[in-house]
Amino acid sequence: MGMSPTPPSVAANQSVDAIVSGFERLGYVADRSLATALYLVTTLRKPILVEGHAGLGKTEVAKVLASYLGTRLIRLQCYEGLDVNSAVYEWNYQKQLLAIKIEEGSDKSVEEKEKHIFSREFLLERPLLQSILVEDAAPVLLIDEIDRADEAFEAFLLELLSDYQITIPEMGTIHAKHVPYVVLTSNRSRELGDALKRRCLYQWIDYPNLEKEMKIVRARLPNIEQELARQVVGYVQSVRGLNLTKPPGVAATLDCAEALMALGKVRLDEAAIEETLGCISKSVDDDTKIRSAARDKIVVAGSMGRVL
Amino acid sequence: MIGSLEQPSDAARAIVEFCRLARENGLPAGVPETLVSLEAAAALGVDKEQDLKFGLRSVLCSSKDDWDLFEECFQTFWRRSEPESSANRRTRSKKEGSSAFGKRDSISLMSTGSTDDVSSEEDGGLAVAGASTRERLSKADVSTLPQSDMAMLEQLALRLFKQMSRRLQRRRRIGTSRGQVDLRRTIRRSISRGGEPMSLRFRERKLRPHRLVTLLDISGSMSAYSLFLVKFLYALQKHFRHVNTFLFSTNLVEITSLLGAQRLQEAMQALSRQPAGWSGGTDIGGSLQEFNQLHGKKLRSSDTFFMILSDGWDTGDAGVLSAELRAVKRRVRRVIWLNPLLGLKDYQPITCGMSAALPHIDVFAPAHNLESLLALERHL
Repeated sequence: MGMSPTPPSVAANQSVDAIVSGFERLGYVADRSLATALYLVTTLRKPILVEGHAGLGKTEVAKVLASYLGTRLIRLQCYEGLDVNSAVYEWNYQKQLLAIKIEEGSDKSVEEKEKHIFSREFLLERPLLQSILVEDAAPVLLIDEIDRADEAFEAFLLELLSDYQITIPEMGTIHAKHVPYVVLTSNRSRELGDALKRRCLYQWIDYPNLEKEMKIVRARLPNIEQELARQVVGYVQSVRGLNLTKPPGVAATLDCAEALMALGKVRLDEAAIEETLGCISKSVDDDTKIRSAARDKIVVAGSMGRVL
Repeated sequence: MIGSLEQPSDAARAIVEFCRLARENGLPAGVPETLVSLEAAAALGVDKEQDLKFGLRSVLCSSKDDWDLFEECFQTFWRRSEPESSANRRTRSKKEGSSAFGKRDSISLMSTGSTDDVSSEEDGGLAVAGASTRERLSKADVSTLPQSDMAMLEQLALRLFKQMSRRLQRRRRIGTSRGQVDLRRTIRRSISRGGEPMSLRFRERKLRPHRLVTLLDISGSMSAYSLFLVKFLYALQKHFRHVNTFLFSTNLVEITSLLGAQRLQEAMQALSRQPAGWSGGTDIGGSLQEFNQLHGKKLRSSDTFFMILSDGWDTGDAGVLSAELRAVKRRVRRVIWLNPLLGLKDYQPITCGMSAALPHIDVFAPAHNLESLLALERHL
């Protein structure tokens, strides 16, 4: 956009197709919708907000985008009570105290001393400042689980995302050398502010269908037996229909498949389901539901019924 | 670029028009979004329909609900079937619903609405009502109060509710204590003294306001109270920063944003347009289950108060109610159940639903009159 400090520099060969195939090469199965949105991120240089249930590869989007663009990934994990000190910058107080002590005897003026202890040397860079300071190329800035941070931080972020500059009272304003590619993720544990949402492109990641999930399993676990993969995916897909407290994401599918391979199983039966239950279910209530469904052959039968 | 602003090409014009349609249908598609849409279309090219659709969707939407709405708009616009904008406006606002509000108590509703502004001033018509009237009103059971007193009670209630929630806010503000040493400011100050940190600066702990989640039973058995209680929730919500308010009978409807209206009258009008199953049956367990599935993640054990306003007459499964309430209790700081029937002299909480719920309740209190509602302050 016109206001950004650096003009967007996009490789000429980039297109939606290039992103789909590039991501696939990196082991991430991106559907057309996601790839289109990411293409717009690289061309329009707008931040993207990725929402979806847990374990569907939201964070992975940023990681893969970074390696696809061949650039650095800078990650900020949000949590309740995240403040500017741990997100943007902090002064190295111990070092400052030492410096003051060392300079005690010198004949520097107070202003000079102050200038010295508030120089870059004493600055601890946190992720947001880092992303602004990167020298060589635009990094990917991942702001993970933004819904966990509080509204005050969201407001601060809004400011950063509009001007890509950070003001440190003691040093002045720092402008971004390269506007970072910003990926925000949210689990929808709270509704984000309208202003932030409107500033971002939006992408909703849903549970994959059978076909896509098969592709993901095959991309991630190339050594898995075709038959086992089909059974695991079918099983997890039908478990998602059980109305659980925490429906399993794709990460759970991969965990389960990996566990089965490690256990040397070649097919998924009731015993195998029991042994790998911990990968799929994350609460006691869900345990019981899956067990009874498995006993009634609902989940396993479901996986048998569907043949690719 | 598919067309400069002075002489827009057909494609550019189509996209601007599509954005207008999207806006009319309730998507957040203002002028900035329209401009970004044009840029996006220029980047993607307009010949590949699917790419264009995905691109515009990521620009014009900002939630999952928007996505579903976008789908409709896109179909309507590019299929040229019926570009009539009002045809598929958000269904929520279209449905008139069975407005129990409209029929019942419309007189008292109107009167409260019109006097709302006055009562927010310190002394409305209330100064006339003597202390004894006030006393009598605040102790009277809402369901047995004559229509004539209702309006006055509501005025009184609104004022007292406001005071109450303001007090609740202030209590939090005063309750701060000295926290960690703030090194940054301490050092800053010590420079002028040659680096000796003579006076320490402190960082106060930032207090997060409590969250309040309320579920109000609007089934038939509660109809004598529910309208009054809605007003209570309205006043409460105005002064809490984090409130989520739901209505339930056989299913659950969130009304947080409706109650956020500036004036009570607007809020009530918005509510009467909301199809929520007023005076229907009751399925407390089922409603709680729905709540847990859709909103359970938002509860945080450290600071959430969970309040149910219901008489406990339940036609649903008591086992479900018990299990769901236990699940809620694990996630919140305190479960408060306000039951209007508790005001009756010989009421025993022995109905199936109520006795199933009791073990998981921290505070069980009456809610039949103004006084009992104001007493809630102690528990928040």
